[in-house]
Amino acid sequence: MEDNTLVLIVEDDVTNRLILRSIVKDVGYQFIEAENGQQAIELCLKHNVDIVLMDVMMPVMNGYQSAREIKSKSKPFIPIIFLTALADQDSLAKCIEAGGDDFLTKPYNHVLLRSKIESMLRIRMLYQQVEEQNKALNIHNARIEHEVEVAKNIFSNVLKHDFNGSDTGFRCLMSPVSIFNGDMIIAERNQTDGFDVLIGDFTGHGLSAAIGSLPVADIFYTMTHKGYSFVETIIEINNKLIKLLPTQMFMSSAFVSVDRLNSVVTIVNCGLPDLYLIGKDGIKQSFSSKVVPLGIMSLTHDNIKVDIEVIEFGDRIISATDGLIETTNKDGEMFGKNRMINVIETANNNDNIFDDLLAACNEFSSDEYPADDLTLFEIKHLENIVHKDKVVIVDGVNESEWALSYELDMESIRNFDVLPYMVQGITGLHTIPNGHSTVFTILSEMYSNALDHGILMLDSSIKNTPGGYIDYYQMKSERLAQQEEGSIKISLNHELKPDGGGRLTIRVDDSGEGYNYEDYNLDNMGGNKNTFGRGLALVNSLCESVKIMGKGNSIEAVYDWG
Amino acid sequence: MSVNAVVSSDNNTVLLKVSGRFDFSIHNEFRNSYKDVGLKNVEYVIDMINTEYLDSSALGMMLLLKEYAEESGSNVVISNANQEILEILKIASFDKIFTIN
Repeated sequence: MEDNTLVLIVEDDVTNRLILRSIVKDVGYQFIEAENGQQAIELCLKHNVDIVLMDVMMPVMNGYQSAREIKSKSKPFIPIIFLTALADQDSLAKCIEAGGDDFLTKPYNHVLLRSKIESMLRIRMLYQQVEEQNKALNIHNARIEHEVEVAKNIFSNVLKHDFNGSDTGFRCLMSPVSIFNGDMIIAERNQTDGFDVLIGDFTGHGLSAAIGSLPVADIFYTMTHKGYSFVETIIEINNKLIKLLPTQMFMSSAFVSVDRLNSVVTIVNCGLPDLYLIGKDGIKQSFSSKVVPLGIMSLTHDNIKVDIEVIEFGDRIISATDGLIETTNKDGEMFGKNRMINVIETANNNDNIFDDLLAACNEFSSDEYPADDLTLFEIKHLENIVHKDKVVIVDGVNESEWALSYELDMESIRNFDVLPYMVQGITGLHTIPNGHSTVFTILSEMYSNALDHGILMLDSSIKNTPGGYIDYYQMKSERLAQQEEGSIKISLNHELKPDGGGRLTIRVDDSGEGYNYEDYNLDNMGGNKNTFGRGLALVNSLCESVKIMGKGNSIEAVYDWG
Repeated sequence: MSVNAVVSSDNNTVLLKVSGRFDFSIHNEFRNSYKDVGLKNVEYVIDMINTEYLDSSALGMMLLLKEYAEESGSNVVISNANQEILEILKIASFDKIFTIN
């Protein structure tokens, strides 16, 4: 059998060398020879030796010394079998101590030597495999480390906090570990010159958890910037995460919006620990989670519970992800909510709460589990805030006069919920301070009026009978499904007023028959005891003026703001 | 074993008893425990009487079980959770997603 295995025979005695050579040749291995330990080392470094058969007593350098040097100098594992005439235990122990892997006592037993060589070669092969796998693993590790670096860089770019500072009242801390564990805090200036903030915490750890923060940040910045309301942003992020994340992943999060014009804070807590509103006398209000974390199930306006509180200058909101209350001490005890509340209540100056919390957490934690997964955020409602950059509320058209018109056929009316889309369009084009929900109400009433009565010809008085509401909506969905002909046209026109503010004119035309509106009194809302017919009266009360025109299928409402 | 699956004699209930820490370390064990049972139209009861601690990956694992259960016409109930665990489930609003006994 031809074999490329190279055996190094180290033996000063010519006869013994001859015997060994013949055994090795018999098996079919290649071989080289050294006469002493020193030569053996040189040959090992020069050739790709697979196994060494080493005599102990030799001139120049003995076997022990040689073995030691071979083991320390050669990188791959080279098994060494000592061949020795000394059979006492001490000498054998010395062989192993010197780095020998096995030994054989003289005189040689051919069969034994052969099987020892073979078994050593098998071990060497295993070593080589492990080494190759190690090498592959190292390359892999290096690549991951590199990717982690790149990712960290990207995340810190996304999660940059330009607003941090005492002049804005905005403060946050995210430890590198927490960022990489999928925590995020992002903030954007809102239309009241306050801040909209998102604090998020993805399930899991590491890159896979953090990856979700990129699309979330993208949606958040874009929508806040364009003036979309909170709830709409949450719905959008939730939809995106449901599509994007695997079932077991989700984002616990809280949204905080400080309205500086009205000194009101709006909070939606979706799965984060309690947030605290802190006044000069301590905690005024806590906001516990009322909404399912995002990315689990579909959410609508109805199941997003919003907390709204009036705030005073000097008040602050504090929020942390679970990393803070789950900081563990050496006894395995957690920092917990009560310690957090205690730190807040006992701070001698509310401006120190943030630092006190961090200090308390660090002191509480153990060396084994350092408090390194901290995400903490605070926003103080300041009377005057200095922004670092100039106020640019909306990109594109800032102060503008514009007109828009939508025409919807039956197909679109059936399949497309046009109202939120339109309101978003309006707020995207121009900021109407605090008018967002009012415009929504006006549009929505005018649109249902056109659809229900103009096109579907439903009679509102049905709603006045027991169970009438249900009958009405039942009938509406049936007619909506069957209706073949029909269209609704919505026209919007926005003008700026010379003394500030603006005027939005909304006109809705439907393709229906119209009705006799001469005897319809728009100011009738207060005296209307019916459970129906409030729609247009409500519009009238919200607007400067409402006009019914044509054959009753055209309505124009004028809404002033500012 | 930190996850123990017991099928009731009438084949209607699968009791998944989680002992000790309910976190990512028992991820595979938890998943296998209900996949191995392979029953349809049953009630999975996550029994937390011996569960000491729960983290967010456990919440994720429970969502996976729920998804699996719903595909086979089954439902999931959480029972015997201690006060602290109930608190975590509440923070995550999981009381809105699961039945908690």
